[in-house]
Amino acid sequence: MSLRQKLLLLFSLTVAAAVAAVAWTVLVRIRLVFEQRDQQETALFVSQFQREFQHRSAEVAAAVERLAASEHARSMAFEIVQSGDAAPYLTEAQTMAQDAQLDFLEILGPDGNVVSSAQWPARFGYPEPATAATGQPAFLKREELPDGTSALGLFAVRAIRGAEPALRLVGGKRLDQSLLAELPVVTDMTVALYSETAQQGTADQTASATQSFDPQRLAGANGDVPGAAKYHSLIEAAQRTGQQTSDILYLTARREDSVNATAIPLKNAAGQVMAVLTVAISREGLVEAQEHIRAIAYGVASGGIVLAIVISLWIAARVSRPIEELARAAEDVAGGNWETRVPEQGHDEVSVLARSFNHMTEQLASQREQLVQTERVAAWRELARRLAHELKNPLFPLQLTVENLVRARSLPAEEFDEVFRESTATLGMEIANLKTIIGRFSDFSKMPKPELERIDAKDILERVRGLYETAGAKPDASIRYEMQIAITPMPLMADPELLHRALSNLVLNAMDAMPNGGTLTLAAKPAGDKIELRVSDTGEGLTPEECQRLFTPYYTTKQHGTGLGLAIVQSVIADHGGTITVESGKGSGATFIITLPRADA
Amino acid sequence: MLRRFAISLALSLLARPVAARTRPHYGGALRVETEGDPLQRPNGIARRLVFDGLTTIDAAGTVRPALAAEWASADADHRWQFRLRPGVHFHDGTLLTSTNAVAALNVACPSSCPWSAVHALGAWLVFTGDAPMPNLPVLLAGDEFLLALTVTADGRIPSVYIGTGPFQVASPAKDLLQLTANENCWQGRPFVDTLEMRAHRAIHDQWLDLSVGRTDLAEVPAEMMRPAQQQRLTVIASPPAELLALQESETGALANPLLRAAIAAAVDRSALSNVIFQKQGEVTAALLPQQLTGYAFLFPTDRDLNKTHELRGGLTVPSLTLSVEGDGAMQLAAQRIALNLRETGFNVQVGAPANGRPSDLTLRILPLAGGSPAAVLEALLRSAGQPQPAIADASPASLYKAEREALDRHTLVPLLDLPRAYATGPRLRDLHLDAGGAPDLADASLEDAP
Repeated sequence: MSLRQKLLLLFSLTVAAAVAAVAWTVLVRIRLVFEQRDQQETALFVSQFQREFQHRSAEVAAAVERLAASEHARSMAFEIVQSGDAAPYLTEAQTMAQDAQLDFLEILGPDGNVVSSAQWPARFGYPEPATAATGQPAFLKREELPDGTSALGLFAVRAIRGAEPALRLVGGKRLDQSLLAELPVVTDMTVALYSETAQQGTADQTASATQSFDPQRLAGANGDVPGAAKYHSLIEAAQRTGQQTSDILYLTARREDSVNATAIPLKNAAGQVMAVLTVAISREGLVEAQEHIRAIAYGVASGGIVLAIVISLWIAARVSRPIEELARAAEDVAGGNWETRVPEQGHDEVSVLARSFNHMTEQLASQREQLVQTERVAAWRELARRLAHELKNPLFPLQLTVENLVRARSLPAEEFDEVFRESTATLGMEIANLKTIIGRFSDFSKMPKPELERIDAKDILERVRGLYETAGAKPDASIRYEMQIAITPMPLMADPELLHRALSNLVLNAMDAMPNGGTLTLAAKPAGDKIELRVSDTGEGLTPEECQRLFTPYYTTKQHGTGLGLAIVQSVIADHGGTITVESGKGSGATFIITLPRADA
Repeated sequence: MLRRFAISLALSLLARPVAARTRPHYGGALRVETEGDPLQRPNGIARRLVFDGLTTIDAAGTVRPALAAEWASADADHRWQFRLRPGVHFHDGTLLTSTNAVAALNVACPSSCPWSAVHALGAWLVFTGDAPMPNLPVLLAGDEFLLALTVTADGRIPSVYIGTGPFQVASPAKDLLQLTANENCWQGRPFVDTLEMRAHRAIHDQWLDLSVGRTDLAEVPAEMMRPAQQQRLTVIASPPAELLALQESETGALANPLLRAAIAAAVDRSALSNVIFQKQGEVTAALLPQQLTGYAFLFPTDRDLNKTHELRGGLTVPSLTLSVEGDGAMQLAAQRIALNLRETGFNVQVGAPANGRPSDLTLRILPLAGGSPAAVLEALLRSAGQPQPAIADASPASLYKAEREALDRHTLVPLLDLPRAYATGPRLRDLHLDAGGAPDLADASLEDAP
């Protein structure tokens, strides 16, 4: 990733993070405001519900009180007590309940058994446990019904006045959706009543707590409650703890269909939860506001990111351009162009870097020049040393010979002639030797320009082998020649004489490296768009240091070498656009690898 | 002398109205109100006024000839021959023949009849059965075997009920059935000219109409006899004429007879009798009433919860359904029985099953009409759809054995013997209830008839 892309990403992320932080803060604040409003509305509703509950309780108690004090009830009680026969009053409770507008009414005999029941006429003769609550305020009670279900009601128990032993009336009103319909409910608020049904065949009212949740028993003022099944955990928690419980319920997969719900347990006198009142306030407004803010945030973030891209492109261009120029200049320097310079603008760190770069390249160029001059001086010194060394060897015999001639002037003529003859022969031979040395140096300094022509690598190798393997050269009988030539054509554009001389030089070096004999291998093969030539020996090989310095002029590992052979070879190969390398290890021979461009077909 | 004549004249003049009151008068319109349809079984009081059976049973329980003048059995009661009364005509003038009598019987009893086949043979009707039919004359007096004309003389299907009874249908409106006297009735003309039967009237409305003179006869269910008397209505009641029974299905959840026996022992009959039926029913665990057999007390009527738990053991019973034939006290009785059973661990819901399958339990009223105890038992079991026990002879021991055998199947639990009762208005006189507890309006007359 480029610097410009990094800067772009950094700017975009920064803008997006800033927008997200602002949006999150606003969303949280809105949620808190809505929750506060919901809590206030719920608290208000609970307060109103409690007032309505107390009002109904008073109504029920008053209605049962009036019934118990009525003349009709008193005469009935008198007759039952007098006759001991309650059968004629089997249906009396239904009539009385209808007159008093009560949903439940039971007449209890002196023994506490039901004489007549409006809600379950067949229940006569069975005991009614609520007798103990005679005279007490109205209370919650679950009343079993003939169809096996039960209904929740507000009940009051009153003794019928005047009768001894006393008969009692247990009257009540159903606590159901009708109560909810009378409660003031604000918009978006849903109230419902969850009432368990008692287990059939039992009168255990505590069984309600152990029953499984049935969504159909959660009824609102207008009937079914949407998503009633979702109230399961909330209602169970209220039943289990007996405390008011609140939670957010998601009624469908849509977030808008969620409510802030509160479950209020309704308990009987013993503290058992008989029913649960649920108050649910729709979160649709909140969710819509959140969605609206989120959409705005997305829009702002998108715009910000686009703006950030534009700005960052401009800033990144300003920031990265000098650096990119520096990078390009560095690449040029690495490529050998030490004259590269970068513009120096401004006074920031990048301009300091540019100035430093320019200074550094100037220093490098200067140091290179110094190095070249130093190397040139060193080369001249080396050349002088080698030249002195090479010339010193023939000069010493020349000096001795001349001195011997001078001393021989005193010898007899025959002896002088012999000495003279020998001395002149020596002088001639050493002078020839001097000429040879000087010729070699001359050749190195005057390498001819190659005259290129199309040849095949195989031919040039065969020619070299033929020269040294046959009588034309001085073959060593202990050296075995081996050819590894590819069968495909290997055309080269090369000067055959110069290439022959270079290869011959390598072959002679290889022969010198194997004084005790060995195998000399000549190989050629295509290597992509190049042709690879190899000259290998099985001599003692070279050290890594020797390999590194082998092509340096005047460096030699031989006793009497000039150190110019391989330098000349490298010069010839370079003039052909090729390269030469050496692979060797101590004791494993050496292989010279020449790579030349393949001629076009 | 003159004085004695004057006194005699005065006494005779005073005596004429008295004599007039003791002799029934012809004419007038008798008004009756009913809770159900008067022409429908099982308690339609107009059925026996419009239709006749081959036989009839008098108030003493004796089989008498009706449309059949005589009968005889052969082949060890496998074959019976009934000779039709000659000269009897249906209300539309069609002559009663053995052919249309056979057609009427086939319509009345399309299947599960006491006989295997019936065919006409001249003026005779010949019944044949795969099993002996010793009580066939009694059974033919039953409400379900009354003869109605199925095809008129010109080949049409009658649009109204046409019988041979003392009254003929004049106006078959839904809520007001008008019957007129059959002038040519083979039994003789009834006293009143017309019968106005107002159907589908609630009991309290009937009583109200009776008290203000808008009806002459009102129904009084057994459980309301005491309030009727408290209201000083003139109530005429029959001996036990109906059996309140709990019928248990032999299939489904109650296939195990032990469970059926447990249910039979769990029902509190005394609560039903003393409270719901206001002490007007007789607690019974026998199919036939005590006064008919004399041994009904041998069947224990007390509720036995220990026996119930013992019989039920650890068996798990699914929820049972209890359907009711009737409303009012019948519904209340069913609720009470359900409550009794819930106490013993049976989960019972009152009402018809939701998926159309038959109820596990049915609370129903069965007629106790008939002549001999054996005939009553046979008719009772037939009306309940129960198999007929073999009765070796007419001895009480054989009858007891047959009844015990029927009860040991625990498919029919007798609960109460109930009377039938009616409240009459001041105009109505000479009203009697027949053996089945139905009012014999053909012999009743009106006090103020012209």
